[in-house]
Amino acid sequence: MSTKEQTKRIELLQGTLDLLILRTLLLGRAHGHAIAKAIEFNSDDVLQVEQGSLYPALHRLIKRGWIAAEEGTSENNRRAKFYRLTAKGRRQLDVETSKWSKLAGAIARILQPAEQESQP
Amino acid sequence: MSRRDRMMGELDQDIREHIERETQDNIERGMPPNEAHFAAVRKFGNVTRVQEDTRKVWSFVWLEQFLQDLRYGIRSLARSPGFAVVAIITMALGIGANTAIFSVVNAVLLMPLPYHDPGQLVSVFTQKLQDGIPFDGISYLNMEDLRRQNTVFAELAGNTQHELTLIGQGEPTVVSTAGVTPELFSLLGTAPLAGRTFFSEDGKPGAAPVVILNENLWRSRFGADPGILGRSINLDKRAFRVVGIMPAQFRSPILSNKQDIWIPVSQDSLFGNWLGRRGGHWMGVIGRLKPGVSIAQAQAQMDTVSARLAHEFPNDNAGWRLRVQPLKGVMVGDLKTELLVLLGAVGLVLLIACANIANLLLARATSRGKEMAVRIALGAGRARIVRQLLTESVVLGLLGGVAGIALAFWGVRGLATLLPPGLPQMHAIRIDGGVLAFALLLSLAAGIVFGLAPALFGAGPNVQTNLKEGEGQTGESGWRRRARSILVIGEIALAMVLLVAAGLLMRSFAALVSVSPGFHTEHVLKADIQLPRFQYSTPEQWAAFANTLMTRIHNEPGLGDSAIGVPLPLDEGFVNLAFEIGGGPTTPGTAQTADYTAISPDYFHVMGIPLLQGRAFSDQDSMSAPRVTVISAAMARRHFPNEDALGRRLTFGFPPDPPVTREIVGVVGDVRDVSLSEQPGPMMYVPFAQSPFWGGQLVVKSTLSTSSVVAAIRQDVHAVDKDLPVTDVQTLPEMIGVSVAQTRFRTLLLGLFAAIALALAAAGIFGVISYSVACRTREIGIRMALGAKSAGVMRLILGESTRLVLLGLMIGIPAALGLGHFLASLLFGVRAADPLTFAGVAVLLAVVALAASYVPTRRAMHVDPMVALRHE
Repeated sequence: MSTKEQTKRIELLQGTLDLLILRTLLLGRAHGHAIAKAIEFNSDDVLQVEQGSLYPALHRLIKRGWIAAEEGTSENNRRAKFYRLTAKGRRQLDVETSKWSKLAGAIARILQPAEQESQP
Repeated sequence: MSRRDRMMGELDQDIREHIERETQDNIERGMPPNEAHFAAVRKFGNVTRVQEDTRKVWSFVWLEQFLQDLRYGIRSLARSPGFAVVAIITMALGIGANTAIFSVVNAVLLMPLPYHDPGQLVSVFTQKLQDGIPFDGISYLNMEDLRRQNTVFAELAGNTQHELTLIGQGEPTVVSTAGVTPELFSLLGTAPLAGRTFFSEDGKPGAAPVVILNENLWRSRFGADPGILGRSINLDKRAFRVVGIMPAQFRSPILSNKQDIWIPVSQDSLFGNWLGRRGGHWMGVIGRLKPGVSIAQAQAQMDTVSARLAHEFPNDNAGWRLRVQPLKGVMVGDLKTELLVLLGAVGLVLLIACANIANLLLARATSRGKEMAVRIALGAGRARIVRQLLTESVVLGLLGGVAGIALAFWGVRGLATLLPPGLPQMHAIRIDGGVLAFALLLSLAAGIVFGLAPALFGAGPNVQTNLKEGEGQTGESGWRRRARSILVIGEIALAMVLLVAAGLLMRSFAALVSVSPGFHTEHVLKADIQLPRFQYSTPEQWAAFANTLMTRIHNEPGLGDSAIGVPLPLDEGFVNLAFEIGGGPTTPGTAQTADYTAISPDYFHVMGIPLLQGRAFSDQDSMSAPRVTVISAAMARRHFPNEDALGRRLTFGFPPDPPVTREIVGVVGDVRDVSLSEQPGPMMYVPFAQSPFWGGQLVVKSTLSTSSVVAAIRQDVHAVDKDLPVTDVQTLPEMIGVSVAQTRFRTLLLGLFAAIALALAAAGIFGVISYSVACRTREIGIRMALGAKSAGVMRLILGESTRLVLLGLMIGIPAALGLGHFLASLLFGVRAADPLTFAGVAVLLAVVALAASYVPTRRAMHVDPMVALRHE
């Protein structure tokens, strides 16, 4: 993993969107609209992604080789572009997920200590 | 189709499908189709930005956007040709002036000397600071001793300059001749164009005379005939065999730029006789340091040798110190300050030009506010807009740069006629690759400098306000307006600095040329006549020639007032001799010196030099009469204070003649013979008949036209000797003009730059005030509707420009004071903090600024309230 990628991930929102896309594609290939819907649905509509911003992220992931695009036929028999996770992307998802949990844990600890201190 | 294009095509399709699906979802949720589509689009966000962001993922975006900006920039400039033309002309002036001056700086200061390994070359010279002599030459014998006694020089060579008469091949002509020791060519390492350079045998006594021609002379005089090699040419009526031709741009260092031929100094009709003399500082010596030897090491050894020479030959060497300095520094000398001042001045002009264009761009940014707001609303990022605006200004800068380079080609040709004649490396001044690169980099930098502020302001408008306001009637935002004011204030301050510099130099120049040289110049002209010394070898022959010639000339109608003087004041050189008061021998090392001139009897009368005491020379002061001299008032004051100088005796002689004791018979007024800027020093005059010379300068005072005087002189000279050339014909005002050429050069250029600066600053003020009036039309209308008189409006507008000028002066005056000391060494008769110059410049700037705001002020005063209010 290059340092360039590491610094990119400091941008929380962008990194988070990448993570969510990878996570969504773990379940199988999907087209852009389906990915957006899935993210909204799975987060109980808490994460309202501006749907357009999905596409730069998708292309970024393609460029890094974490996902691949392929032509396919959608549920209503229309041609559509489908995105699927690559092996490299699968490994990356593990890395991203563990990083995310660490970060979430760390933030939680920072936000929690007041309670812990008040209950010696 | 590239991979990227395909990606983009697919992306468009993806987006379309995405929105269709979302629309479908919405319809299924029960929305009416129309609304469903808009909701989908809203949810998707800014399509353009998505496309741009995605494109950025696929690199190359930078280049693509650059090309796009470039196209857009050129198109937007083409849409406002007026603005583009004004900006490009402004830029072209700035870049052109900078490029032209830089080409001089490059040739004179930056480029290495055109010799082999020039970093190792040094000038070896002598000085005697206690007598105020910082730089003098070396005698041949001293140089030969130095050659044997040093371990620091790989090679050492001497050269000197003399004029010889070339006869045959058309009119007789005077050729500027460098007499050199043979090592000079191998030391400098320049290969001949044809033939060979000198061998050391050529410098030995008794060797056959040989000569090397300059390519220019070979072409002009000998028709570029390759057969000239091996043939003989006639110099001072003596045959010299041509052994080589040097390329046109080759010069022997330290001598004047005009060098037609080179001969071994041992063969020179004048200096050849001086080789065996220890005294006399007549040879310029060049050395090549051995690798790894520093200047300090070389100087240490020079000090040892100086001490030894002073000990062994105290008569000639006591008090003299040998010095070593890098050749380049010695050749450039005081020109460095001069050129850097000029370069600084054009730099300021460019800054003002940049400020002016930045101002125009800011005004444009205001009127383009709506365009920018639309672009931002459509999804352009701030950085993207800054980049686009910067690309536009860089395009502008480069276009101006290209026009400026064209201007510089023309300017360099113009400069060539202005340059002071002694400038080293003058022939190397041209616009070459380095200068071109400088010009392009400068235009690029200028484009960024003047584009930056407008780009930053242009990219950050309040989208809402700008969209609503459209073309912006209530005016610019406070920020932008302040930025424009600051730019104009800066321009005024910079113009102040330049005008003060130009003003000081002009006052110096005026002071310099109004200095009385001590002699009259009206209706006087001079001409040079040189006698070939092999034909005219004895002083008796010289005196006889002068006598015959002067008798003929005196008999010409209208040429009665004519005389001979060697040398003339403020001409090409002066002779400074040691003298002793009384009849004793001169004691070297302690001798006082005075400048020396040999003259014919009518000289003082022709030159209008007043006789203060005693008598002038007459025809009776001949070779057979007692030796006499006339001294200047300064000499009488300094050496015979409170006593009568008449009847006292002085002992001196012009080498190679031995010192002679002469009686002082008269005292005349002082003349400035070295330069107009130097106080007249002591002078001694001797009768030409008693100390004749192989030629000299003829001075003729006549009301006839120059051409008829010259024709008459030529005719008389050729009647005496048909092979004698008459050269360097000048009126005395022209001669003095040449002596102040360097001062005139800098004054003219700085004056020109200051004038450009003033014009640019005036344009800047005009622009800002006009714009401000245009923006405030409605406000002015309201004021007038509420009863303001036009005088009040005038006060309002003039107040604004006055404020700008005052602020500009408040910055400019201290800046000019601070920078003044760079000029101090170039000034004459005026202090760097000259109050008159400062006051004059401040008034000039204020008047020009108010004049520049006249038109916009009138426009404001004639605003019709009804029209202004309806303007909404």
